[in-house]
Amino acid sequence: MSAFAEFAKEQQEVDGLLFKGYTIAGILEDLDGARIKFVRAEPAKSAVELMLLTADARKYVTTLIFAGHGVSEK
Amino acid sequence: MADLSINLAGIKSPNPFWLASAPPTNTGYQVQRAFEAGWGGAVWKTLGEPIINVSSRFAAVHFNGQRVAGFNNIELITDRPLEVNLKEIYETKKRFPNHAIIASLMVEPTQEKWHEIVKRVEAIGVDGLELNFGCPHGMAERGMGAASGQQPDLVQAQTTWVKEVATTPVIVKLTPNITDITVVARSAVQGGADAISMINTINSLAGVDIHSWNTLPNVGGQGAHGGYCGPAVKPIALSMVAECARDLGVGVPISGIGGISTWQDVVEFMLMGATGIQVCTAVMHHGFRIVEEMIDGLNNYLDDKGLASVTELIGKSVSRYSNWGDLDLNYKVVARINEENCINCNKCHIACEDASHQCIDMLTNADGKAILQVREEDCVGCNLCSIVCPAEGAIDMIPLENGAAPLTWNERQKVISSLNGSYSEAEVV
Repeated sequence: MSAFAEFAKEQQEVDGLLFKGYTIAGILEDLDGARIKFVRAEPAKSAVELMLLTADARKYVTTLIFAGHGVSEK
Repeated sequence: MADLSINLAGIKSPNPFWLASAPPTNTGYQVQRAFEAGWGGAVWKTLGEPIINVSSRFAAVHFNGQRVAGFNNIELITDRPLEVNLKEIYETKKRFPNHAIIASLMVEPTQEKWHEIVKRVEAIGVDGLELNFGCPHGMAERGMGAASGQQPDLVQAQTTWVKEVATTPVIVKLTPNITDITVVARSAVQGGADAISMINTINSLAGVDIHSWNTLPNVGGQGAHGGYCGPAVKPIALSMVAECARDLGVGVPISGIGGISTWQDVVEFMLMGATGIQVCTAVMHHGFRIVEEMIDGLNNYLDDKGLASVTELIGKSVSRYSNWGDLDLNYKVVARINEENCINCNKCHIACEDASHQCIDMLTNADGKAILQVREEDCVGCNLCSIVCPAEGAIDMIPLENGAAPLTWNERQKVISSLNGSYSEAEVV
């Protein structure tokens, strides 16, 4: 798979969770990549963890947060 | 025609081209011929207690057909008595009163020694002093040169001792054989330096003769580390000049040295913060008259840019030199191959396949012609293909607008830290 295709797949997963109403609540970076913690309050409180491997996806998530997207207004 | 004159910490010179303290400034005969050729200043070969040199002192690194890509020497400071040098400095200054003559000095690190030589040299009439804290070989083993230049406290102390008696501007010449040159640059300034110059030569062994197994150079079969200079060291020198130019704790004029061979090199050093420059290896390779082309080239460049004075170049690129952590992660360039200029040598494909991100495909177009094509979505914009490409204009690196706001690594880390701190573990689940 091309690097772009790998990134696109991970980007879709991120966008999919945001579309479902999840917001990004935390990022844990380690040797294996970045674990992105998503939370949602409605309809029921739930959390999902997404492991991002590609550099472009890890950059994409933080670019979203930096721009104020994908995070709840606390 | 632009004004090429400079004023480096009070040292005036008709142009920014100075000879560095080295073999070309060993005698009055040489320096006067250099001034006749057009050099604006000269830093006299380092004065101190006259030494004894070895025979077989130089070696060079030739690379891929280019002679003297790098140059190595194990020559020491002047081997002539101080009075002989001073007499020739006096005669040269009398003949060329508007040219800059700076005396390079090196003595043992004691207050008395520095006071003595500064007083004797300034009495003859020089425009400034350059303290040699950089020579990496021979003198360093005696506690001078790079040996004292690698100790910030000694740099400061010796500069202070010189400033106690000096009446002319004091330039401190720094060694590159140190982890962070700004540390010693700041020490020099704290000692009272009016300016700094860099770089002196880099510790080196030019090579080993694989037939005789002797080092290059060797003295009867024995070698020793020397000082490396010439075009190969220019990027190292430029980086060190830039680091000092953007360091607020330094804040004094810089005389740039290190692999400068052309007027374009001079422009680069001045843009990166140098007020003037010094040259050695290019003169050792090509002679004093290379300055003619440097002057012409610089004049034409300034005219083309509409600049009235060479001083308008000083430091103009410093603000564009930053830390990696402050670079925009969302900036994106991709390679684009121009078929009309491509010679189908496939070097870009090989480089990308073997050393980068495997995004240049070898294809056949509708006419049956072999072509190379970049998959732009997979291209990371590393520049490697355009670097190895031998055909002018065959590969362009094109900035892409991706709609993403600029984001630096430092900003990213702050965002993550802030995000993680704003949620409790319970909230995150």
